[in-house]
Amino acid sequence: MARRGLGPAEEYDYLFKVVLIGDSGVGKSNLLSRFTRNEFFLDSKSTIGVEFATRTLKVEGRTIKVQIWDTAGQERYRAITSAYYRGALGALLVYDVTKATTFENVNRWLKELRDHADSNIVVMLIGNKTDLKHLRAVATEDAQSFAEKEGLSFIETSALEATNVEKAFQMILSEIYRIISKKPLSSSEPAPGPTGGIKEGKTIEVSATNVDNTKKQCCST
Amino acid sequence: MEKKRANDEFEPGPILPSQSVDRFEFIKQEQNSSEGLSTSRSANEHEREERRIRKWRKIIGVGGSDWKQYVRRKPHVVKKLIRKGIPDCLRGLVWQLISGSRDLLLMNPGVYEQLVIYETSASELDIIRDISRTFPSHVFFQQRHGPGQRSLYNVLKAYSVYDRDVGYVQGMGFLAGLLLLYMSEEDAFWLLVALLKGAVHAPMEGLYLAGLPLVQQYLFQFEQLVKEHSPKLGQHFSEEMINPSMYASQWFITLFSYSFPFPLALRIWDVFLFEGVKVVFKVGLALLKFCHDDLIKLPFEKLIHALRNFPEDAMNPDTLLPLAFSVKVSKRLEELQQEYEKRNGGTLPKAGSTNRLLQAIKHKELSIKPERSNCVQKDDPSPRILH
Repeated sequence: MARRGLGPAEEYDYLFKVVLIGDSGVGKSNLLSRFTRNEFFLDSKSTIGVEFATRTLKVEGRTIKVQIWDTAGQERYRAITSAYYRGALGALLVYDVTKATTFENVNRWLKELRDHADSNIVVMLIGNKTDLKHLRAVATEDAQSFAEKEGLSFIETSALEATNVEKAFQMILSEIYRIISKKPLSSSEPAPGPTGGIKEGKTIEVSATNVDNTKKQCCST
Repeated sequence: MEKKRANDEFEPGPILPSQSVDRFEFIKQEQNSSEGLSTSRSANEHEREERRIRKWRKIIGVGGSDWKQYVRRKPHVVKKLIRKGIPDCLRGLVWQLISGSRDLLLMNPGVYEQLVIYETSASELDIIRDISRTFPSHVFFQQRHGPGQRSLYNVLKAYSVYDRDVGYVQGMGFLAGLLLLYMSEEDAFWLLVALLKGAVHAPMEGLYLAGLPLVQQYLFQFEQLVKEHSPKLGQHFSEEMINPSMYASQWFITLFSYSFPFPLALRIWDVFLFEGVKVVFKVGLALLKFCHDDLIKLPFEKLIHALRNFPEDAMNPDTLLPLAFSVKVSKRLEELQQEYEKRNGGTLPKAGSTNRLLQAIKHKELSIKPERSNCVQKDDPSPRILH
């Protein structure tokens, strides 16, 4: 899904596509809104199909734009959502620390990724809702050792309390960046010029951003 | 265990008295703009509305007794009237009449009760999890374990038992929720049955069956129609790699009840229930046409945003619907369906699949009383099933 060439006014070095997956009700949409808009909704609607949001941030000294596809969690929806795994460089696989079944289903999600995503996709396991301390049903150590066994990075978050959300995205984006740039963490060079960022075009999602941010949206009133 | 937890969290408490609601009892957002309907009506308008309601009442007759005959005699008048919008106070009844659900209800006494009380569903926990996530900004559904949430649960659970192949799928709650604002649980249940099993129009259960086959078909048809009706925009979408699953899945899966302004969703449903799913295509195409000149300038990300956040003037039913009615799609929809079936080898159930519905009910071994063989007549938009 290579996209239009970068214009002179591009504001980022890399553009990464990431998907949010995991059982229904684990808090994927709130992780997304916390990360992209610093918002949280107690009474959010269930996601139907897919949602989309972006954010641009500094990772490893580079400006990274991340396009995030948030998917409906119910199994039946995989018929639509699995198409969005293609071309994704990262997957945030979310479970709910208060619901053991959502952790048990992580294996099924990993299989989904094996079946539909690129083989080199970076997967991060996220245990969300740590704020519900009295309801915890999945021990941190269990998830940690599972993640190690599967070769996934792991973090626990609370979208409600904004705990570790930023860190989770930073971690996965750094990991993607390290793989893309094929350099160890410590030796990254200063950011290349705005047009010099894409080094491995075949795996990177590149999107032209609108030069004129003030341009009006569809029929804006 | 799961059940208890599911109920414990993320459900808002009782509504605060200070919250103000709109005329459809949705809690107002800050700076909520006009609803597309003026709140203060002049005496003149009021009188006109009264006349309209009287006219509708006359057509419907007591409890809907005159409706069928009128529709048979003057189908075009009815179509025109419905396109202007069904009066809100009669909406629930008329929806039941035009969808064929009223007949299903009369033909299956006690079935709903049995489904709710005696049957268990594998989807119960899934349904509970989503109850507070369905129309969370409406007062009726906001109160935890309140009558709204209980009704919604009952309807969805009953349906998941009634049709175990479909069970419960996210999105169905928005259909059920919309219906429950206008009718009783049992009525809402049968209307859901009428829609998904195809009492009057083609069955829509494929929206929710494994693989979501009808969603995929509709998205295919819609993509082609966009290319044909708005070629430049279709081309722009292709170049920007926008496909309808990114913005229109919700339109089809929830029939515009998920995120559209409520007054618009209701007006769409009025017509959709009478004329069928082609209305959903027409409205979708009309939206794109309305915003065409702006959409065509936008790059990928802004396009996605714009396609999920249509401006207020596009969402005005009195502007959008006439435009939608001017879009002709029926013939192409059929052709595209055939093309899709050819490509994918297989057909989805057609309208009025008598045996399917009958079997579905018999399968439950519930007491069904076949009756009223006179309920089906030619050109009658009432059910062609269960007679």
